[in-house]
Amino acid sequence: MPKQHHESQPQSQTDTTSVDDIQTDDYRSELPGILGSIDMGISRLESILLATGVLLMAINTISNVIGRFVFQSSIFFSEELNRVLVILITFAGISYAARHGRHIRMSAIYDAMPSSARKPLMIGITLVTAVFMLGLAWYSTQYIMTLYGRGRVLPSLQIPVWLIYVWAPVGFFMTGLQYILTAIKNMLEKDIYLSTNVLEGYDDDEIEV
Amino acid sequence: MAVAIFSTMIVLLLFGFPMMIPLIIGAFIGFYTLFGGLGQLETMVQQMMAGIRPASLIAVPMFIFAADIMTRGQSAGRLIDMVMSFVGHLRGGLAISTAAACTMFGAVSGSTQATVVAVGSPLRPRMLKAGYNDSFVLALIVNSSDIAFLIPPSIGMIIYGVVSNTSISELFIAGVGPGLLILLLFSIYSWIYAVRNKVPTEEKVPWGQRLTAMRKALWPLGFPVIIIGGIYGGIFSPTEAAAACVLYAVFLEMVVFRELDLRGLYNTAKSTGLITAVVFILIAAGAAFSWVISFAQIPHQILSGIGIDQMGQIGVLVVISIAFFIGCMFVDPIVVILILVPIFAPVVENVGLDPVLVGTIITLQVAIGSATPPFGCDIFTAIAVFKRPYIEVVRGTPPFIVILLGVSAALIFFPQIALFLRDLAFR
Amino acid sequence: ETWRYAFEEALDEVQGVFAQKFKEEVEANSDHTVQLFPYGTLGESADIMEQAQSGILQFVDQSPGFTGSLIPEAQVFFVPYLLPQDEEDLFEFFRTSVAVNEMFPELYADQGLELLTMFPEGEVCMTTKEPVTSPEDLNEVKFRVMTNPLLVESYQAFGATPTPLPWGEVYGGLQTNIIQGQENPMFFIESTKMYEVTDYITCAGHNNFTTAVMANKDFFDGLPDEDQLMIESAIDVAFEHILEYQQGLHEESIEKIKEAKPEMTINILSEEERQPFKDAAATVEEAFIEMTGESGKEILDQMKEDLNQVTN
Ligand code: NA
Ligand code: NA
Repeated sequence: MPKQHHESQPQSQTDTTSVDDIQTDDYRSELPGILGSIDMGISRLESILLATGVLLMAINTISNVIGRFVFQSSIFFSEELNRVLVILITFAGISYAARHGRHIRMSAIYDAMPSSARKPLMIGITLVTAVFMLGLAWYSTQYIMTLYGRGRVLPSLQIPVWLIYVWAPVGFFMTGLQYILTAIKNMLEKDIYLSTNVLEGYDDDEIEV
Repeated sequence: MAVAIFSTMIVLLLFGFPMMIPLIIGAFIGFYTLFGGLGQLETMVQQMMAGIRPASLIAVPMFIFAADIMTRGQSAGRLIDMVMSFVGHLRGGLAISTAAACTMFGAVSGSTQATVVAVGSPLRPRMLKAGYNDSFVLALIVNSSDIAFLIPPSIGMIIYGVVSNTSISELFIAGVGPGLLILLLFSIYSWIYAVRNKVPTEEKVPWGQRLTAMRKALWPLGFPVIIIGGIYGGIFSPTEAAAACVLYAVFLEMVVFRELDLRGLYNTAKSTGLITAVVFILIAAGAAFSWVISFAQIPHQILSGIGIDQMGQIGVLVVISIAFFIGCMFVDPIVVILILVPIFAPVVENVGLDPVLVGTIITLQVAIGSATPPFGCDIFTAIAVFKRPYIEVVRGTPPFIVILLGVSAALIFFPQIALFLRDLAFR
Repeated sequence: ETWRYAFEEALDEVQGVFAQKFKEEVEANSDHTVQLFPYGTLGESADIMEQAQSGILQFVDQSPGFTGSLIPEAQVFFVPYLLPQDEEDLFEFFRTSVAVNEMFPELYADQGLELLTMFPEGEVCMTTKEPVTSPEDLNEVKFRVMTNPLLVESYQAFGATPTPLPWGEVYGGLQTNIIQGQENPMFFIESTKMYEVTDYITCAGHNNFTTAVMANKDFFDGLPDEDQLMIESAIDVAFEHILEYQQGLHEESIEKIKEAKPEMTINILSEEERQPFKDAAATVEEAFIEMTGESGKEILDQMKEDLNQVTN
């Protein structure tokens, strides 16, 4: 588990829990003043969207079974609603994952390098990642506008298709922003950061054997 | 172009870029080269969105959610206590039970990623506690989950059956033999591993205590009943079974065991969402990359150069195995089947190969590819869920891959492994 | 030049056969080459449609049932018992229809598409677990339909419980009995092995699956006249080829199914048996007009007139 920078104690580990709790309250924005408050607000919003997205998905899917089995009538928009939720969860989540340094990477060679080489490499990695995230934010906006022009609708919900993608550019943009902030953080500080809040390195005593 | 793309991706991957970046840049280079600039990047976005569209993907977050609730609460522990009371005194007993559980769960749920999470998350801590090494545990979970591709219902086989016009029922039956053979070999390897690494055994549990353990597991035993009974009883699809498990897990942990409060449920949902996002963005990027490979007809180019038309049956099967193995290392298995099967179809017919055998071999390669570096969706899932470094997740893989490749070779030379049951049922 | 052509089915299914013929014609009569992309290789139906609209693909085959989310009027092909049930009449209808050959091209043009042709793919039949001879037999049957409002409406009118299920889950769903029926043209029932998991095939003549081939409009308009003519004549050749190919395809598929599964019961409903289905379907026409308004009604009326021309 990546170390949370702002905690003096390593996070407590309950050995049966495979999945960690990220306490939103632990997230401290690195941005000054009002920007920091906005950033923390966005982080909070992302976590709310993640949780409610998953809960709604479960309720939606189960309701469809009950409807079909008990009331002999399927919910026709069930599948489409799940599509909306998957996109919401994915794009709220990638930015949230970027904040908490949780994106998957293969760090074998990276880890073997001396820290003098790791630092510039990490800055390079975060900047390149940011460029592509911001690029995708731009092109997903373009894509949404194209869809808007064509006017295709979802067959069951009969709402315009572009509506279900609106979270994509926002998610890409926020992710790109997180990686830029991480690059800046790495330029300013001595340590190496995976995200603005998370120092590099996996915690090897995750599980008490 | 293909060479440039693949080498760039590998380099970026090795240098520690977030894994979505090699896939995104791979796709980007493709779009840039194919369309001479940035003009068609909207289609790249389109394909990323298409990648996370399949309705069956919903099973992944739902099973993650259910498994997480079970593991935080008492359900998972009680189930495992019961299993341990029966197998704890046997060498490698827990490992073999894990492999069997992955196979069974994967077979029914139809999702290997869901299996990694649902079976892996409760069992991994217990295996570590029992003295197994983490890289063995991770590799065992990931590879056993992939046996599910071969055991019906298998979405890979359905797609193959439709594309190649082959009986799906026959494919389903043909997959069972190799699937069970792999499980057997994994079990033997687990036993050897336990013996060689002197994994301690527990004392044999008397029947009285076993009954107590079973009684304690009575409520959680509802999970297999819901999944197996619900799916085979025609009440719900595998995806819906996942959501039903969520409901049942919430009921058990919030009402029966009172382990989980609303706050806990909310936090569990949030971490489920996070893992889902981390895995799905890779599936999205992978889809854009697959599109480029398909659009540029790269497989056609590569395969037209190797003279497959002059080969005999064995040669054709070897080439097919290698092509699918490599394809699935980089690209989503379903897309690989859709692209490659039509290319091979005329050759398969010319040399008179049994399409059911070919389908079984292809499905096996798909299973191997999903558990194989560099880009295997089950590896992503394991990293995201267990939070272990990439290298640790794949370190224990080689013995499993050797077994899987061994079974591939065995299938090529002894087709009866797959066709025996089929012939018994259909011929 | 290399042109790219994507469609919704496998290479050896009807859309694929059409595409192969088109490719053959184009390559024989010009220096252009055509690359074919079957189902799933560049995405699903909606994806290849968008790619054709943005000019990445030059040609695309999409069935009006899917196009309905883009061009609502295209759903007219889902109004039950609208198309003639007789094969000769049907073919003549597609050759001469004013709605198909003049009105639809304008609607497609608004979406940046040159509608090259529409053609039938075969009579849609139901595959079920229990025999179906009247709407009563569909009572409480969970029937898988594509997520299309008019199809849902139709099967509701027929008395079934329309159930949406992703295509990938249909085979398994029939096997485990989540659903007890689905509908498709006979060749598709054969090639997708739906008969393995059902016991009865019922043809009620309520519909003939229709599909459409389009080109990106900017691409097409930008071609020199001789290329446009060459494409149009290649489409004509492929169109006649596919009609010929289809004569007997239905029966051939039935034979293949019978051979693979002799106990399969195949039921062609009689005129009297079809009547209650026809009566039930009247509400679907109203639903279509309600959904598409004046322009939909115009198309519907024109189609009826075209049909009159053919059958009288
Ligand atoms: Na399976
Ligand atoms: Na792989």
